Amino acid sequence: MASPQAEYVKIVEEMFEKKKEFWLIGQYIQRWDALSKMLGKAKFTADYAYLFKNLVYVYSVRAKYAHARIKRIDVSEAEKVPGVLKVITHKDIPGVNDVGYVLPDQPLLAYEKVRYIGDIVALVVAEDPYVAEEAAEKVYVDYEPLPVITNPLDIVSFGGLKEKEHPLIHEERGSDVIARFRIIKGDVKKGFREADVIVEGEYRTQFQEHAYMEPEAALAVPEPDGGVTVITSTQCPHEARRAISKVLGLPFAKVRVVVPPLGGGFGGKEDVANEIGTKAALAALLTGRPALVVHKREESIIGHSKRHPMIARYKHGAKRDGTLTAVEAEIILDTGAYASLGPFVLWRAIVHSAGPYKIPHVHTEGVAVYTNNVYAGAFRGFGNPQVTFAIEQQMDKLAEELGMDPVELRLKNILRNGDRTVHGQLLDHGVGLEETIRKAVEATDWYRKRAEYAKQTGTIRKGIGLALLWHGNSIGAEGADYSSVTLIINRDGSITFRTGLTDFGQGAIQGLVMIAAEILGVPPDYFRVEQPDTSATPDAGPTVASRSTAMGGNAALVAAYKLRQRLNQVAADMLKCSPEDIEIRAPDVYCKSDPSRKIRWVDLVEECFWRGVPLQEFGYYRAPKAVWEDETGQGEPYFTYTFGTIVAEVTVDMETGKVTVDRITTVYDIGKVINRVGAELHAEGGAIQGMGYALMEELVHDENGRVLNPNLYAYYIPTIMDAPKEIVALWVEAGYRRGPFGAKGLGEPSINGIAPAIANAIAHAIGARITSIPITPEKVYLTLKRLGKIKL
Amino acid sequence: MYIPKNLDDALEYLDKNAPDAIPIAGGTDVLIQIREGKLKPKVLVDLSGFRNQLSYVKRIDGKIVIGALTSVAELDESFLVKDKRYLGFADVSAKFASPVLKALATIGGNIGVAVSASDYVTLLHVLNAQVKLVSVKGERIVPLEKLIVEKRTLAKEPNEIIYEIIFNETPENSSTAFMKFDRREMIITGYVTCAVYLQLKDNIIEDVRIAFDRVSGRIPGRAKKTEEFLRGKEFSLDVIRQAYNEVLPTEMKRKSDFRASAEYRLDMSKVMMKRALLKAKSRIEGGA
Amino acid sequence: MAQTQAQEYPEITITLNVNGKDYTVNVKPYERLIDVLRYKLGFLSVKEGCGRGECGSCAVIMDGKLVPSCLVLAVQARGKKIITLEGIAPPGKLHAIQKALLDTYAMQCGFCFPGVIMAAYYLLSKNRNPSEDEIRYALSGNLCRCGSYLRFIKAVKLAAEYIRKGQIYFDLKK
Repeated sequence: MASPQAEYVKIVEEMFEKKKEFWLIGQYIQRWDALSKMLGKAKFTADYAYLFKNLVYVYSVRAKYAHARIKRIDVSEAEKVPGVLKVITHKDIPGVNDVGYVLPDQPLLAYEKVRYIGDIVALVVAEDPYVAEEAAEKVYVDYEPLPVITNPLDIVSFGGLKEKEHPLIHEERGSDVIARFRIIKGDVKKGFREADVIVEGEYRTQFQEHAYMEPEAALAVPEPDGGVTVITSTQCPHEARRAISKVLGLPFAKVRVVVPPLGGGFGGKEDVANEIGTKAALAALLTGRPALVVHKREESIIGHSKRHPMIARYKHGAKRDGTLTAVEAEIILDTGAYASLGPFVLWRAIVHSAGPYKIPHVHTEGVAVYTNNVYAGAFRGFGNPQVTFAIEQQMDKLAEELGMDPVELRLKNILRNGDRTVHGQLLDHGVGLEETIRKAVEATDWYRKRAEYAKQTGTIRKGIGLALLWHGNSIGAEGADYSSVTLIINRDGSITFRTGLTDFGQGAIQGLVMIAAEILGVPPDYFRVEQPDTSATPDAGPTVASRSTAMGGNAALVAAYKLRQRLNQVAADMLKCSPEDIEIRAPDVYCKSDPSRKIRWVDLVEECFWRGVPLQEFGYYRAPKAVWEDETGQGEPYFTYTFGTIVAEVTVDMETGKVTVDRITTVYDIGKVINRVGAELHAEGGAIQGMGYALMEELVHDENGRVLNPNLYAYYIPTIMDAPKEIVALWVEAGYRRGPFGAKGLGEPSINGIAPAIANAIAHAIGARITSIPITPEKVYLTLKRLGKIKL
Repeated sequence: MYIPKNLDDALEYLDKNAPDAIPIAGGTDVLIQIREGKLKPKVLVDLSGFRNQLSYVKRIDGKIVIGALTSVAELDESFLVKDKRYLGFADVSAKFASPVLKALATIGGNIGVAVSASDYVTLLHVLNAQVKLVSVKGERIVPLEKLIVEKRTLAKEPNEIIYEIIFNETPENSSTAFMKFDRREMIITGYVTCAVYLQLKDNIIEDVRIAFDRVSGRIPGRAKKTEEFLRGKEFSLDVIRQAYNEVLPTEMKRKSDFRASAEYRLDMSKVMMKRALLKAKSRIEGGA
Repeated sequence: MAQTQAQEYPEITITLNVNGKDYTVNVKPYERLIDVLRYKLGFLSVKEGCGRGECGSCAVIMDGKLVPSCLVLAVQARGKKIITLEGIAPPGKLHAIQKALLDTYAMQCGFCFPGVIMAAYYLLSKNRNPSEDEIRYALSGNLCRCGSYLRFIKAVKLAAEYIRKGQIYFDLKK
């Protein structure tokens, strides 16, 4: 008996094998929301405030200390301020006071303790936003300050990653280590004995802020049945609904989450709506009026998750000819005050901790630990940019030690078709890594520049460096991995497209529309993409982990395929040719063998209506099961991997240490280019964001856990003047048989390799290596000064 | 918010209500101070209504006079940025504020806020600028160096407003330059900023003035010992090196903060000084 | 600002002209131009990204000059002529810069676009043939986190070309 899984898998594989000619896929197509955004008509969450009357405004009273016991909260003075309607504290929460994503460790409103400077102790609800903010100063909290821990090395130490004696941040959990993962393969001791050369290094990465241009916002409207509708900026409406329901004590069905266009997400809006959506919903239910929460930029920066900082020690061994024999690593991630996505981020970091290489002996291990810093969670790349920064510098150090070109060393060790990963996973097809290297080397004139730049002597020097990357697609062994799309062909031939996946600017939905359009034969402008809405769009899993195209694309493909089968049958009947002979190119439908036999698309749709052939379809796709052996890290953690090679070219001013990135060349194997515009924008956007990560961005805490740069003036993201002169995006299409037409994800991989490529290019330019990011002018200059390479 | 009918009205209002009332020009600083809760004025006195009256750059009797409400955008359109002697103004404008802020930010405001991001003040220091203050009681002229006492503190009565900035025209054989850099190109404070005034005759340094910001404590200031060392010497890289290695470190204290260490700030003040002097020299000789 | 002010200070009536039309509104003394444009008059293209003049998302043209509407008090905008994204082209038309941004496929999240478009529009009003450096400089106060920067440069050049050819407005339908 054929299982339902067999059906959709069969459809996806059939399309991969049979469909070789495309009329839309891979073309430059204007995205569905471009025009409304261009005209300024697209409504983002905060814009809805203009459309509602009698709003109340919610302001969050945040902690005065990064770690303190709460002895008493007194809101009476604040409640007396004219215009204040209510001050909400933990006592007012009807359900469970928790908005944690992976672990139930994060109260919406702090009660026993505050654990970081962004913790919220009360919500002031007022008639006017300025009044709410002013009244917040009158909420009095008696704190007993506790020791603040900002350094993860105060929680665990290298040499076993054992937890140290320390005052616990989360007493209720009994430990401040939230997760531990490892890969153990072969015998590393033996591997290092077999090595001719060993290189070691310690690598540090920083807190990175998403700095999406749209600060978080939510608008909640009370519903007559005691439920609530929440319009909010989130990547994961169904996840936000779960959190809101939990805190409000309402069934899922009474909580409706609607997602307008998002002004950027990058992972930061994966779980933040658990907090903001819930704040708005609480205020709406407690006052009976629509409630608005819009974070100020300063609040956004201290109040939402960041990219996990990493401290890692790596040791690689290789034979004289460059063959890797062993890798050993200890990796510490600082997850800040709450787990957020921390355990999953650590897991992804560990899965990728050996890089896209064949290595016989492996022991890598990592922990994620609490501190009193701002909490860390999901951010494009999700643990992978951190380890890639370390691995790819190690590879360059090894090449240097061996006197090999960095490209040659990598070619010696990379994964190819038929190889097994360090987890023992067989990659039997679709590994285009080698081709990405060859294309990148050719496009950048690598060997000539490597040789030429090595001879420079002046104050201004150029460098060229590369990095490889891989990235497991979708959620993998983290959780249930499915997606879905609903297609409705309306009676006039227009098409309603529904999915719970969100477009937070990355253009993911456009790819899904193109897949459906390709199969149906109906141009994308016939489609209307509905807003994600938990009451109308199907749960498609979270919009994270580079999974929209790979997972949602398959769901769109399956739905369109089934509709097309039915349409072909009816059309064949009408045109008197075989269903296989039917070509749909709306507005026309005709027989391939005789295009003069033709009907109109609307007539075909009308005929289906009268015949009772349903033109609605629900497409569902579940990923192949991922396997992960906890003790050894063996198994099949992800169903497929995106591969890539990045080449960065830089100029360094030796006297100031300032680095300018001149050109970035990215070559990604994404299986198949579906949405060419989106793919190019990812390559460019990831490169610029990765450049910020490499050179300028860093959220700084002082020893008391206070954030010193909570604004866009002191937290540096690249401006247009910093953007490289050129970003060259090239593609390899090695094809993955269970991706839509062979496609794999690109959202996250597009940042993974940028920082190490830039770091390697800097090392090439200045003849010295900097192993912590951001590589600020000061780090470069002082490194050169210490080495005696520069004298003023 | 008080909207004065004219300047006299504003001065009278300030005289009665300052310091509860504070004047607001472009607002690029005041509004952020209020947003951060650092400033809680009872009333703002809006000076924007007579912006045109106080926006000018003029030559009068061998002096350059700049109205306090002249915006950065207006300075960019003035003769200053076309005169090789005052190209330091072009340097400041290029990195001082992004184009979005240029029409709002005023030169008087930059003096009035007295923070350690006072690029115009740094440049005006090397031009020995003076400031005219006016109040209901009349006007007085004070040297800029005396006016700014400390970060956010001016030697100015609350009822006085900054009216105009005055400095002497400089000789033909002189020029100015300003240097600022940070880890990104725009929307920056600068690790160290440096302004120089250089006057050269037959390659001899007739006069030189050097000012730094983000170096000496909380406000911009002059490196007078270094200036003294250079004055009268022949312009050469060796002399500059000697000045910044032997003299500069003995004056102006540098501190470490999250943006940069004192060591880096000292070394960058050397580099900025060298580059600014070279640029000024090239300008005197007809270059950009 | 202070709640005491909200209580003590009466609203002030101001008139301002937005996109060619006069509006008379009552404002609190601490209200900003962005608040009035967005929430009193409904010009929702004006976006608040930082409230501090750092990101450029709220940029509008005021009396011919580019300004961040988050750093202008509404009262200070009295009697001024404001142009927002809604007003750069007649109804049913796209301005050359909008057309060029579509042509270069620059759109991502779009939150910074209104500000970017206004800064580019301002540049093009002064310079019909800007160089790459001039474009970078003119847009350097507009942060874009999705990273469409290189497309902005191409688009402004293309728009300048359109304008030089006399093609300032384009039919929306095409």
